[in-house]
Amino acid sequence: MTVTVEKRVTSEETHAGHPRRPRDSYALFLLPGVLAFLTVIVVPFLMNTGVSFTDWQGVGSPSWTGLANYRELMDDSEFWESFRHSLFMVLAMAAVPTAVGLVLAAALFDYIGKHFGSRIVAVLRACFYLPQVLPIAVAGIVWSWILAPTDGSLNELLKAVGLSSWRQDWLGDPDIALYSVMGVMVWVQLGFPLVIFMAGLQRVDPQLHEAAELDGAGWWRRFWHITLPQIRPEIYVVLTWCTIAALKVFGAVYVLTKGGPGGATNVPSYFSFTTFFEKTQVGYGAAISTVLTVIILALSLIGLKLQTRAGTA
Amino acid sequence: MATAVALTGSLLLASCGDSDNGSSEDGKTLKLWHYEAPNSAMGQAWNEAIKEFKAKHPGVKVEFEEKGFEQIQKTAPMVLNSSDAPDVMEYNKGNATAGLLSKQGLLTDLTQEATTRGWDKKLGASVRTTSVYDTNGVMGSGKWYGVPNYAEYTMVFYNKDLFAKYKIAEPKTFDELTAAMDTFVRNKVTPLANAGAEYIAQQYLYQLALSKADRSWVDSYELYKGKTDFHDTAWSHAADTFADWVKKGYIAKTSSSAKAEDAGVSFIQGKSPILFSGSWWYGRFVDEAKFDWGTFLWPDSNLTLGSGGNLWVVPKGAKNKKLAYDFIDITMSKKIQNLLGNKGGVPVAADASAITDPRSKALIDNFNVLSERDGLAFYPDWPVPGYYDVLVSETQKLITNSEQPDGYLDALQEAYDKGAPKQ
Repeated sequence: MTVTVEKRVTSEETHAGHPRRPRDSYALFLLPGVLAFLTVIVVPFLMNTGVSFTDWQGVGSPSWTGLANYRELMDDSEFWESFRHSLFMVLAMAAVPTAVGLVLAAALFDYIGKHFGSRIVAVLRACFYLPQVLPIAVAGIVWSWILAPTDGSLNELLKAVGLSSWRQDWLGDPDIALYSVMGVMVWVQLGFPLVIFMAGLQRVDPQLHEAAELDGAGWWRRFWHITLPQIRPEIYVVLTWCTIAALKVFGAVYVLTKGGPGGATNVPSYFSFTTFFEKTQVGYGAAISTVLTVIILALSLIGLKLQTRAGTA
Repeated sequence: MATAVALTGSLLLASCGDSDNGSSEDGKTLKLWHYEAPNSAMGQAWNEAIKEFKAKHPGVKVEFEEKGFEQIQKTAPMVLNSSDAPDVMEYNKGNATAGLLSKQGLLTDLTQEATTRGWDKKLGASVRTTSVYDTNGVMGSGKWYGVPNYAEYTMVFYNKDLFAKYKIAEPKTFDELTAAMDTFVRNKVTPLANAGAEYIAQQYLYQLALSKADRSWVDSYELYKGKTDFHDTAWSHAADTFADWVKKGYIAKTSSSAKAEDAGVSFIQGKSPILFSGSWWYGRFVDEAKFDWGTFLWPDSNLTLGSGGNLWVVPKGAKNKKLAYDFIDITMSKKIQNLLGNKGGVPVAADASAITDPRSKALIDNFNVLSERDGLAFYPDWPVPGYYDVLVSETQKLITNSEQPDGYLDALQEAYDKGAPKQ
């Protein structure tokens, strides 16, 4: 998903000596991108939407069923349950990483940077960002070893420090599995907001902080009244981006739990996948993914609106 | 929206056009796909079959492409609709896979070849079930759409060293098996290797049901020849016993998220003394288990899980069907079948006296016992597309005690009735 924020070029902003080209000449440069977008996104999406109005097993001829799939979806408790889990994922992949990322970014920027130097900051930032670079399949398998009920390193660690009673079947207990997956997702996602916020903090005029400090404002107060309002645009970008990622989450669930135990960690994208390929109910699977796409699209538009408003505030 | 639908319709029509009917045979290339690892029994036997094929067809090029199981499973319907279809490929047996493709007219009818080349005579009744499909894509009757080279069945793998350590004899009856498990539990050993996140757990359950079932029960469940009641004696016994086994500690509560690989590894590492699973583990245990182990069929049960193996199918759009039939014929020859047997597979048409490896011999002898008593009862996830996931998910609830046997059976009934053809 690409997001382009168009900024109107006003006459004041054009440099003298660079004559403005007529608008039409830009269209040519947009052509490859537009073609790729049509081929890779628009056409498959329209096809998928079309398939969602049919009863189809993926081979042979689809038969037209109108809105039947959507009606079935409305009454499908498994679908709504998977959506409820999506909200937990939004918490784990958008809310928590944004909040923790903000505090961490400010701490790295203000405190660690000043006391330990920029090299240490760079190393720590890279460490936090590493999970973003790792393929989720690899990270997922390693986490499933860590969280394994017997011989898993987390349970072994708890045992070693005398907390045997805290040991759990992290991915196998239906009451805990979703929280375990959420924990892994926080770890995966944290680096992204951190890097964006640290870049945003570079923008903030240091004089603002100095003035506040002279006035006797403590670290928290400055964070709350200067840092936060100053990097509001970045916060909106991160929240939008991470919410979309959370709604689409698939790889982690596939690798860690396959939606189990007993559907306790099922999410819409995985539900759609199994409906498509395991149950060969392609029409119904397409309906699920269409609904998911519409929701993501709506949220993206809201996010963009907020972002634009924050940018111009 | 109307535009979208119109566009979609035209695209779908374009993608579902008639495929090549294979009339343009050039007899120069055999395009072959399969997904067996090169060191597996099947992989080795089929490599040999390719050599044999080349010797018998000088000048014919064999284009072999090794695929992944998932790759073929997920993309076959699309590939078979295109001009890139291979001449012969390995494909999964069962209603939701080969049955579905045959119903959609994507596979070549092999009935005539099966009779003239004698494949039908080489395959036993329950092995043959997955080769034939009716017009609705239901296995067990109708035309031939696939040919299996091997068979598979489940058995109890047990660690003889651990049994000896706790002075337990090889169980001959179900009661003795239960007593053996009690002894292990008393010694703080969880007797059964299990995996709730994959097929292992549901296969324990199905085996428990099979021990109280007969062929007509299997025909009802798998071939829809009667009504399936999940609250009958067999299913109730299975769910109650399984839940009880979790309570008693025969099956670890923490096995709900374990994968089949974890269960296999826990047997190989000597942590679990017993694993009930299929012949597909055999070769690996021979290679990797560092202790003395043996196998026996599930006690006090005429039926066990198993079937013919995956199938050779000839796509409708194959360009060189005759070459494909010749290749299948070679894989069914005594030479290739004996090789498959000696490499740890379960051949369907081998010469018993030619199997020299003692472990392989035991594996094939047990299969012959089953074959003679028509004891292969297929797999629990076959009757309904997507049933595998339902069984995994529901059985996990049984392991974690988040559902009682009664609710478990209700859930299975609901999913089965929703997905199975109406009787």
